[in-house]
Amino acid sequence: MAKVTREVVERAGVDVDQLLELLVKNAAAELTTYYYYTILRVNLIGLEGEGIKEIAEAARIEDRNHFEALVPRIYELGGSLPGDMKAFHDMSACPPASLPEDPTDVKALLKVLVEAERCAVRGYTQICNMTFGKDHRTYDLALAILHEEIQHESWFSEFLGEGPSGHFLRRGETSPFVRKFLE
Amino acid sequence: MRQFTSEDLARYNGRDGMPAYVAYKGRVYDVSDSFLWQGGRHQVLHDAGADLTAALEQAPHGEDLLDRFPVVGVFIDSTPPRSPGR
Repeated sequence: MAKVTREVVERAGVDVDQLLELLVKNAAAELTTYYYYTILRVNLIGLEGEGIKEIAEAARIEDRNHFEALVPRIYELGGSLPGDMKAFHDMSACPPASLPEDPTDVKALLKVLVEAERCAVRGYTQICNMTFGKDHRTYDLALAILHEEIQHESWFSEFLGEGPSGHFLRRGETSPFVRKFLE
Repeated sequence: MRQFTSEDLARYNGRDGMPAYVAYKGRVYDVSDSFLWQGGRHQVLHDAGADLTAALEQAPHGEDLLDRFPVVGVFIDSTPPRSPGR
């Protein structure tokens, strides 16, 4: 734990235990999403599915990166991850992004993906709101993750016909915003 | 439709086998089946068995998400009105 780090965040008025619980729940959401997206990606096949596979893969890898980026902050603030992987799964801040009943229904698959991203966008907005002007490092991290979650949402939303995402797919490396937190 | 006072509602806190109910703008919703309300808690900050009308103003989502849950009653606020300040 980084004692002074925690102390200054507490003195700024943040309930650090509450914040830690949120960070752990969101870390759980990232790692479980990485797992569920693996299954979704594998099932994105055929003429429709193949076109979406690439962005599902980028989102999958970036969600794993988000998990990796969150862990150091959790420990800096004096928190820890649960020892039980099942408990970790069940405390996720977002519901499981399970494969739809008909795995050949690409639209249903996209709905699962976009709902997962929307849950993440809400979660990191909450953390940004809690930490803005009070816990600069957590805010910076949550904001970086939020940037990427918003892009994921807009990619999947575009494929659902909700309107243009406004930007291109990743070209080259993943996690343009979160990269600085990955050691 | 069943009427809930704040005391009635408080019993439906999602713990010890009780369903999880929340009130919003006079309606009572059953959120027991939601993954995000396990154990009667929502995103660390909110507890079931309460009127969340004010809390939702600060939430990173709108009231449309409540449409996913069944309405089980109406909320009659039993809190005594505040006496006017001097």
